[in-house]
Amino acid sequence: MQVNQKIVKEKVKTTKVEKAVVLNVKDLKKYFPVKSGFLIQKTIGYVKAVDGVSFEVKKGKTFGLVGESGCGKTTTGRSIIRLIKPTAGVVEFLGTNIADLNEKELKPYRTKMQIVFQDPMSSLNPRLSIGEALSEPLLYHKRVKSKAEANMVIKDLLVKVGLKPYHIDRYPHQFSGGQRQRIALARAIILKPELVILDEPTSSLDVSIQAQIINLLLSLQEEMGMGYIFISHDLSVVRFISDEVGVMYLGRIVEYGQSDEIFTNPLHPYTKGLLAAAPIPDPKVKRSKKDMITGKVPSPINRPNGCFFHPRCKYKKAVCESEYPPLIKVSDTHWVSCYLYA
Amino acid sequence: MTEPILIVKDLRTYFYQEEGVIKAVDGVSFDLYPEEVLGIVGETGSGKSVTVKSIMRLIFPPGKIVGGRILYRGKDLVQLSERDMLEIRGKRISMIFQDPMSSLNPLFTIGDQLMETIKFHQKVNEDTARRKAIEMLDRVGVPNPRERLNSYPFEFSGGMRQRVVIAIALSCDPDILIADEPTTSVDVTIQAQILDLMKELQRQFHMAVIFITHDLGVVAEIADEIMVLYGGKTMETAPTEILFDNPLHPYTHGLFNCIPRVDKKISHLEPIPGQPPQMIDVPPVCPFLPRCPVKTEQCEQSLPDIVEVEPKHFVRCFNYFSNKIKESTRVG
Repeated sequence: MQVNQKIVKEKVKTTKVEKAVVLNVKDLKKYFPVKSGFLIQKTIGYVKAVDGVSFEVKKGKTFGLVGESGCGKTTTGRSIIRLIKPTAGVVEFLGTNIADLNEKELKPYRTKMQIVFQDPMSSLNPRLSIGEALSEPLLYHKRVKSKAEANMVIKDLLVKVGLKPYHIDRYPHQFSGGQRQRIALARAIILKPELVILDEPTSSLDVSIQAQIINLLLSLQEEMGMGYIFISHDLSVVRFISDEVGVMYLGRIVEYGQSDEIFTNPLHPYTKGLLAAAPIPDPKVKRSKKDMITGKVPSPINRPNGCFFHPRCKYKKAVCESEYPPLIKVSDTHWVSCYLYA
Repeated sequence: MTEPILIVKDLRTYFYQEEGVIKAVDGVSFDLYPEEVLGIVGETGSGKSVTVKSIMRLIFPPGKIVGGRILYRGKDLVQLSERDMLEIRGKRISMIFQDPMSSLNPLFTIGDQLMETIKFHQKVNEDTARRKAIEMLDRVGVPNPRERLNSYPFEFSGGMRQRVVIAIALSCDPDILIADEPTTSVDVTIQAQILDLMKELQRQFHMAVIFITHDLGVVAEIADEIMVLYGGKTMETAPTEILFDNPLHPYTHGLFNCIPRVDKKISHLEPIPGQPPQMIDVPPVCPFLPRCPVKTEQCEQSLPDIVEVEPKHFVRCFNYFSNKIKESTRVG
C-alpha cells in the first residue's frame, strides 16, 4: 500500500511540472590532454572531444544526439552524468549545477540520473545474478529495508521490462542480447530516475529486437516521465525516438531543433550530407548525390580553422575559413551553426 | 537465358560442439547469375557468414559441410581437393570481411599484401606485380597510390583500409566477390562512399557479388536480388523490387514492419515478438514457428519446402501471405 501511495504522489507531481526542464547543459567542454615524453611527460596539446555544447532535456521528452564516431557524443553523455569531470561549462540538473560538485555532494543526484550502455554484456557483472546486481542500488541507497523486500521490487520490475520473475536467479550469460539490454534498462530505472542517458542502446541488437527495446523505452518513458538523452549514429532510430535532436561534428553541435524539422528540412551542409548518406530501405528511393560528403573527419587534435566542416563543405564562403559560425536561430524550434543562414 | 555462375543447393554446414550439433546452415539454396548482386539478409546467427564461408571452403573443425552442393561453373566446390580450391579461392572467388583492420596484417605494408596475392595467383615478377598493385589502389580511390604502397595498415583510416581490402580482393579480376558486412564497421558517410565504389567496380569488373548485410537500407540500395535467411534456412528469395513490394514470408513482413525510417515519420514500430532461435537440437520444423503470427497445425508437423510462387520469387512457408491479404489475416 505504501508503495502505491508513493507512486500516486509522484504522478501528481509529474502532471504539475509537465514542461519542466530536467537538464540544462551550457557550454560544456571536455578536453583530454595529449602527453608526450618518456619519464617527464609534457602536455603537447588537447583533444577537444567536447567543445562548447549546449542543449536542454525536458521532462518526459527525448533529446537525440547524433554524429559519426569521434564527434564527442559519448563524451558529452559521460560528462553530464559525471563519469568524467567536465573541463568547463554548466550542467544544470534539476536546478543545480552539478558540473563542479564533489563526489559527496553528487551522491543525492546520482540516483536521479542513470546511463545505459551499448553492450549489455560488458556493462553487467558476469559474476552477479540479476537479483544481486539489481538489489545493489536499492540496498546502497536504502530504498528497501531487507533483501526480501528488494526481491519483490526487482520481480515487479523484471515483469515491467518484459522478463519473467524467475529470471531473478539467473546470470547475464544465460540471456540473449535483447534480454540483457532489458536487464540493463531495469537497473537504470530501478531508482526512478529523472534522466536516463542511453548511449547507443540498440546498436548491438538485431532489428527485430531493436524494435522491441525502442518500444519498451517509449512505454517506460510514458509511464515514469523520465527525460532521455538518446545517443546514436543511427539516424532512422534517432528520428523515430527523439522529440528534439542535436547534430554533432568534432565536439560541437552544428544543428539543433525539433526532430521533425531537422529531418524534413536539414539546413547545415553536414546534416544534409549525413541524411544523404543514410541508406533507405526502399529500392525505388535513390539517395541524392547532391549533398554527399567526400573525405573524412579531421583529427580532433588538429582541427581546421574557422568552421570545422569547411574543408568538406561544398557551399563554403570566405568567412567560413577564418571564423567559427555562431548558432543562428532559424525558427523557434530550429538553430543552425552555419554562415549560409546568417 | 544466361546460366547461373554459382548454384547453391540445400547447403548444410553443422558445427559439432560438446553441447550438441549446431546446425548453423541447414537448407540454404540460391542461384547467382553473372554480373548480378545478391544480397543476403538475416539477423545474428541466421547463417549468413557460415553460408559464404562454406562457399569459400573456410569451414574448419568442429565445423563440417555435411550436405548439399555448391556448383561453381559446374564444378562442385564441396568435393574439390584443397589444392584445386587454391586455384579458386582468392582468384576466381574472393572475399572481403567486416573489419578491415583484422583482415590486413599489421606487420606488412599494404604493398606487400597486395603484391603477395598478385604474385601467388598470376605468377608474375616483382615489377609487374608492383605496377598492378599501384593500378589497383588507384582504381579503388586511394590517393597517391605509388607512395601509399609503402604504408602500413595503421596509417590508413577505416574507410581507406576497406578500399585497400577491396583492391586486394579484386586484384585477380574474380568472377565472384563475396562481401561479408563490408560497411558495418564504418560511419554512414564512409559507408555511402564504399557502396558507391562497390557498385562502380562491380560494373567495371563484370563480376557477380554476394553482399551480406543486416541493414535493409543497404541491401535495397545495392542488391538486384535478395535472399532472406532465418535460423540457417532460406526463407524467401526474390528480385529486390519484388521483395520490397510484395514480401510473402511472415518473417520478411515482420522485418519490414519493425525498422524505423530516416526519410519518413513513422508513428509506431511493430516488433517481432520473442527471441531469435536456438541453434542446438532444432526440431525439424520452420525455425520461425515460435515467433510466427500466422502459424497453423501443419507448421508444427513438418518443414515446408521452398516453392516458386511467382517467377524468381521463392518462399518457404505453408501460410505465406501478400500485403493485400495481410490486414484480413491480422484481424482474423
